[in-house]
Formats: sequence, C-alpha cells, structure tokens
Amino acid sequence: MDTLAHTVPGNEAALPAMARPQLDLELRGIRKRYGDFTAVDGVSLKVAKGQFVCLLGPSGCGKTTSLRCIAGLEEPDDGDILIGGKEVTKDPPWERDIAMMFQDFALFPHMTVAKNVAFGLEMLKKPKAAIAERVQQVLKSFEIASLADRKPGSLSGGQRQRVALARAMITEPRILLLDEPIGALDYSLRETVMLELKLLQQRTGISFIWVTHDQNEAFSLGDLVVVMNHARIEQQGAPEEILQRPATAFVASFVQGNNVFRGRVVQAVDGLLKVETPAGSFLVPGSDCAIGSEVSFSVRAENLTDITGDHHLNRLTARCTAVEYFGSVRRHIFERPDGELLKYDQFGAHAARIAAGQATVLGWRPEDTVLHTGVAA
Amino acid sequence: MSTIRVRSAASYWLAVPAAAWMLGVVVVPIVLLGWVSLWGGRSFSPASPLTFDNYSKFFANKTYLQLALSTVTHTVMLMAVTGVVGYAIAYFMTMKVRHPAWRLVLFLAFVVPFWTSTLIRGIAWVPFLGVNGVINQALMITGATRSPIEAFLYSRFGISMAQVSLYTMMAAGPVIYMLNNIAPQLREAAMTLKAPPFVVFWRIVFPLTLPGVVIGQVLVFLNVMADFATVATVGGNKHAMLPNLVLLFYEGSQHRAASVVAVLLMACMLIGVIAAMKVVDIRRLGADR
Amino acid sequence: MTPGSIFGWRFRLGLTGWMLGTLTVIFLAYQWLPILTLGLLSFAGPTGGTTFPMNGVSFHWYEELWKATVMNDFKPPLLRSSLLAAACAGTTIVLSVMAAQAMRGKFLGNSWFFYLMLLGIMAPGILVGFGFAIMMRLLGIELAWNTTTFLVHVSWTLPFGFLTMLAVFNRFDSRVEEAALTLGASRITTFRRITLPLILPGVIGAGLFGFSLSYDEYPRSMFTTGPDQTLPLAVMGQLDRQLTPEIYAIGTTTTVFSLIAVLLCTSALWAMRRSTSYRKT
Repeated sequence: MDTLAHTVPGNEAALPAMARPQLDLELRGIRKRYGDFTAVDGVSLKVAKGQFVCLLGPSGCGKTTSLRCIAGLEEPDDGDILIGGKEVTKDPPWERDIAMMFQDFALFPHMTVAKNVAFGLEMLKKPKAAIAERVQQVLKSFEIASLADRKPGSLSGGQRQRVALARAMITEPRILLLDEPIGALDYSLRETVMLELKLLQQRTGISFIWVTHDQNEAFSLGDLVVVMNHARIEQQGAPEEILQRPATAFVASFVQGNNVFRGRVVQAVDGLLKVETPAGSFLVPGSDCAIGSEVSFSVRAENLTDITGDHHLNRLTARCTAVEYFGSVRRHIFERPDGELLKYDQFGAHAARIAAGQATVLGWRPEDTVLHTGVAA
Repeated sequence: MSTIRVRSAASYWLAVPAAAWMLGVVVVPIVLLGWVSLWGGRSFSPASPLTFDNYSKFFANKTYLQLALSTVTHTVMLMAVTGVVGYAIAYFMTMKVRHPAWRLVLFLAFVVPFWTSTLIRGIAWVPFLGVNGVINQALMITGATRSPIEAFLYSRFGISMAQVSLYTMMAAGPVIYMLNNIAPQLREAAMTLKAPPFVVFWRIVFPLTLPGVVIGQVLVFLNVMADFATVATVGGNKHAMLPNLVLLFYEGSQHRAASVVAVLLMACMLIGVIAAMKVVDIRRLGADR
Repeated sequence: MTPGSIFGWRFRLGLTGWMLGTLTVIFLAYQWLPILTLGLLSFAGPTGGTTFPMNGVSFHWYEELWKATVMNDFKPPLLRSSLLAAACAGTTIVLSVMAAQAMRGKFLGNSWFFYLMLLGIMAPGILVGFGFAIMMRLLGIELAWNTTTFLVHVSWTLPFGFLTMLAVFNRFDSRVEEAALTLGASRITTFRRITLPLILPGVIGAGLFGFSLSYDEYPRSMFTTGPDQTLPLAVMGQLDRQLTPEIYAIGTTTTVFSLIAVLLCTSALWAMRRSTSYRKT
C-alpha cells in the first residue's frame, strides 16, 4: 500500500475526473450547537486516501465534537459528511465505514481480550471459524497473543491500548478515528506508541484522524494538521506550513516558538508593509493591506539574532529575563518594550553571549516575518 | 494509613458491640428455633427429648407441602414480574431520560413511597381492589365490565398486584445503580464496531448490569417469602403462604410446628442468598471502579 | 441502508423510548394510586364505609382519631413508636459507624462479620421475632416494648446502617485523614474533626434508615412488645377488629409525617453535601 503524499486540497480540480483521487472523508460546513453553545461552527475538511490527519487545538475548540460527528456519535445540525464519497450524514455509527479508539480505550470489561477483538467481526456476521482465525492473526501482529484469555481489568495501560487498536483495526475500516489515544499512557510509552501508530498507518493505508491538544504529537505524526479554535478551523495544512507560515495570531501563539506582534499598517511600499506596534515599527512582507488596517504577524524564535547586520532591518531592544539551555539550543526569554515576552533561540554550541539581566538589540530579516493572512477560505 | 490501623486491636473491639448484638438477637434465636423444632413431647420445656417427628409430621401433610410449594412458585413469579418491570423502569430512567432534572423528579417519585409505611401501602390496596374499589369503578365507568369483579381482592391475583407495587423498586434500584456505572464510551465503542442498538444492549449493557439484577432479585425474593402482612391484609383469611403458617401455629401455641416451618423458611432463604452471592460480590458496594 | 425509511433505526429507537416511558408512567401511577386513594378515602363522610362511595367529605375520621376512645386510642402507640424509632436511630448510628470503621481496619474474620450483618437483613422478621420471643420465654424475661422490642428492632436496622456506612467509607478519600495525621493530630482527633464531619451525610442517612425502619416495623414488634403496642401493631389490630375510615386517617397521617421527616432530612443532607464537595469554579 503506497502512501499518498499529502495532496494540498484544492489541486484536485486540476486533474481529469477519472484520475481524481477519491477522498476518504469530506466534511462540508459542519455545524453543531448545544443549546447556546456552538461546539462546531462551519468546519469543512477534505481527507485524501490514506492520510494521517491531526486535529489540534486547546480543549473546547470543537475537535472532539467534530470527531464524534464523523463517527456518527453526534448528529450535526448543519452540513454534510461523506465517507469514501458516500453521504453518511444521517447514518448511525454502526453503518459507517469507520472504527474508533477512545481515550480510556473502552474495552468491554466482561469479555476476554479475544472476545473484545472478535466483536467487530461478529457484528459483520462473519463465520465463526473465519473469525477465530482472523483474531489469532491480529492478536499475533499486535503482539498480544498471550493475553487472549485475560480480561481487560488485569492488563496494563500499554496492553489495553494494543487491544483497543486490534479491536478497531480488525474490521479494516476506511477511517480510524482516534480521540487522544495516548493521553492515558505513561510518558515513557508515548514515543514508542506514536511511532508504531505512524508506521501502522503507512502500512495499512487507512486514513487516521487523530485528535490531540499536544502539538508534538500533531506535528510529528500528521500529514495534514488542522488547527482548531473556538469551533472553527484556524488553519489546515502540512506541518511545515503551519509552523513556518501561521495564518492567524492564534495559530502562531498556539504553536511553539513564535513571537507574535499586533499593530497597524502605516505604509506599504515594494511589497513590504510598515507596521506600527507597541514594541516598535517593523517591516513585514505583504500587500493587499489597506493603510490603517490592524494586522498581526510573527517571527520564529530561531530567526532572531543578537549579532545584527545591515540586512536585519527589524530590530528591537529588550532585556533578557531568563536563559534555558537544552544542549543543542539555548533559549532566551526577553521582555519586549511592550511588556510581552520574546523568545530567542540560539542553535549550535556557541558560548553564551547574553546573560540574564542584560539588555541587547535583537534583529531579524523582513523576509523571516510572517504576516497572518487569516483563515483560509 | 487512616484513622484505624489495619488489624489493630481497636478495629477488633469496635466491631464487638455490633457482632454481639447480632449474634445474641438474630443468630441465637434462630438456632433456638432449630432446637425447638426438634423437641419431642408436648410441653414447653428445655428438657424435651429431641426427635425428627415434627418434621415428618409436617412433610406428611399434603396441605402444608402444597402451601410450601405455592409459596415458592408465587415468589418466583413475583421475582420474574418485578425483575422485568423493574429493569424496564431502570433502563428508562437512566438511559432514556436526558435531562438531569427530570431524572431526579422521576427518581424521587419512585423512591418517596418507600419512605412511607409498607404496612399502610399494603392496606391501601384493600379499597383499591374491592368490589366498590377504584379499579372496579374505573372498569365499570369505561364500560369494560358490567358488574364488579370480585376476584381482585382476597385472591392470589390481588396479593400479587399489591406485592408488585411494593417490591418492584427493590428490583429496579440495584439495576439503576449498575446502569449508571456503565461508561457511555462502552456503548459508543460497540456502536462504532458495527453493533446496532439492540445488540449493544444485549451484549454490552445487560451483562454489565447482571450483578444489579441478581441483587435486586435476591431482595425481592427475601421480602416476598417473608411477607405475611400483605398476604393477610389483601388476601384476607383465604390465602396463606409459609410465613402465615408460622403465625398460625404460633397463635395456636404449637411452637414445635411453628419452628419447623420457620426452619424451612430460613433454609429456603439461605439457599437463595448463597446462590446469589456466588454471582456477585456485595462488599464492593459503593467503591469507585 | 434505505434512506428515508420511516421505520429506520431512529424510529425504532424512539419507539423503544416511548414504550419504556409509558410503562414507567403507568407503574408510577400504579404505585401512587393506592396511597392517594387511601388519602382520599380518609376524608370520607361520617356515614362513609371503607370503600367508595364516600358519602360526603369531612374531617370526621380525623376527629375520631383525635378523640381517642379506649378501643381506638392511637396516641400512646404513636408515642411509643416514635421513641422507639428515635432510640433505634441513635443506637444504629453509633453501632454502624463503629462497625464500618472496624471494617476499614480489616480485622481478622471481617468477612464473617460482614456476613453476620447481612444475616440481619436476610432473616425474616417473623422468624427473628418468634425466635427471640421463645428465647425470652426460656430465659424467663418479660416482653416489653422498650426492652425486648428495642433489641430486636436494632438487629434489623443496624445492618442497613452498616451497609450505608460501608458505602460511604468506600467512597471516602482517606488521604484527608493522612494529611491530618501528618499535621500532628492523633487518630481520635482526626476522626472527630476530619472524618466525622465528612461522613455526616452518611451518618444521617443511617439514622434515617434506623428511624423509618423501626417506626414501620411490624413482624418483629408483633412477637416482642408484650401488652403495649407500637403504632403498626395498633393499626393492624384495628384492621382486624373493625375496618373504618379511621384506619385511613391514621395511614394518611403517618404517611404525611414520614414524608415530611424524610424530606427535611434529605434537604439537610443535600445542603451538607454541597458545602463539603469540590465544585468546578
């Protein structure tokens, strides 16, 4: 099974109809309200075949509700859900081509591991002998064959996670939905499990939709990362795109290592905007911005430097309040003129040049500044 | 570590008063009854010789055996009815009622009668079932019947009707507790594994509530087998169950016979409870999973 | 999947809900109607019999109740039952808290102890009452409502209180006790100042059990009260003698009293729970 390189959505129209890859999942304008509270507000998403998608965001942003809508556990007030090209918005969970992994694994406590894993196939009314054989196969491939006759209560967290995975995968779904699947595991286990799951996804070609609030998970696993906030999608794209070119101030600040500024455009010349902020004036690449409009922009911590040259046209003076040394990177925290914190990362094994308490000038190139262009249509 | 040291003398001594009370007031008297049931002779005397005559006399009597049998069948029937109705109510209240306020209202509506006298609630069935009672009036008003049905009051049917109203919540209570303890994710997981609603209930929910069902059935069993008051009030003097027989013998000063029936009753109940205990561990009541 | 099928899964699910709901409501009526009938009939006119027709509406039977002739005097039994129930409640509270605390200590033989308590619930009232009466006779002890009946009543209410306290302690987080102990409090002090206030709702519940179970107790009282009757005995006695709506008046009065007592205690319990529980800010 070959993985499909993450096709940037929107390019399919350029291909002839026959060759257009079928989407595993499509959400069109999903809306879900609970009384006065809007949990999901106009979420649209296209997931290509065999894609690893991560829904990332703070708690309450609507990522779990969206996942549950895809599963059929919640019914959206508005919008359409298509799985494999087929409209399933009104279909109940047991009729959708999906499987789900829950945060606490939700293993059936009164059934043995073998029976838990066999459950999905029993529902599909497969013959008993075939089920037994397949269960053996799956248990072996997930390395839990020795646990077959044990009950979930006697298993460790890692073992339960494997059983939950086996139980879900045995039905060979088109999409696997995962709701913060490694949150319940010990920290030391998480890295290993993350890698295993990534390899599993690539091997089987099943689309994974992974919900998490942890960016490390999202950026290391996802082919497509969807950043959500307040019931809306702020930005969706490949990890590099989100990290290098955040589209909104929220995404920039949510994602680690960005310095966010807000200000007003006072001049626009040669594709550069001059933006006045409480921390100073800076040059930001951009056009199509009216003078006087409020904008936000960011610059990554590693793009700053304390050895400023002529091309470092954006500068400010700040006082260092803390220095954290991580071996390969030295992170400095500064206090900006506008009172906000500024992060400056210095890579490589240079000797420390700046000490806490010291004030210094930091600069960066205008090209490294990212204007937040807002939520993509 | 807490306010009591594990296996300390204090923990032992704290239990002594309660243990002594129960031993003295419950265990000893019951053992005594066993002893009295073996008394030969005719007078009330501890010096009576021991014999199995009283038992053979009892078991030789066809009427008494019939009575014992009908008590058991009546109890089993009641267990079945209260079990099914109780489960249905429990399921409705926990799964189908969404709003927590409504759930509380329903719960109170069912539980509040339990805080009133069981005796009074039993007596209340007399005017309800009687010839001029509410049920007959209702049936006649709606034209379903033309003359009052006498068969309601002073009949097995009437007794059963009263007992169902008295004991169904005992069957429902433990089930409600178990249903509440089922994490919604379990049902959701089953649904995502292609199980339609009925299968989710039958394969996941019901098995997980079995301990509650068993406890509820045991409670109903114990209460119905020992219930002579409702039988006497609603059944009049025309019907008797095993406990009524004990009373009958006692009032006739036939202590030996009364003891025999008492021992028999106790044996039935012990068997029932022990069987149930094999299925369920009551000691984990209330503990969080 | 048949799109738009009117008998689809959604319909079936809703139907199940409606069927169960109807059953529940019918049963609710089934449970309440007899009591309400009782209440209604208690207001029957002076010439009313014990069933319909009512022959007018009056407080006549309540007056009869209040007037208390020699045959129908319910006030002493009421008093006796109340005192007995109060004593039972108090004793149950003390003994069940002690017993439940003992269980936490996991002393040797504690499972036997647990089954012993359970025996109290299991053993039918007639058997315990009967057996106890026999025992008293053999020992030559006279039966009286305030001695022998009290003993037997507690044997009935104690297990219920015990189970309640067990459940309370099962949910109890003993880490607050540990915190107190590390702060220098002795075990007794910790129990008095930390544990007790936190388990108070359970204690009150146990007391409530003790009171209402004793107040309503019939078979155990029947064999052990001697000449002075408790309320349930008086009621049943009246039932045997002469069925008048006065019985309904008693029944209604007792019910209303129980209800008020329980509602008061439950609201107190609820208020206490709220003040000692963690709530999301």
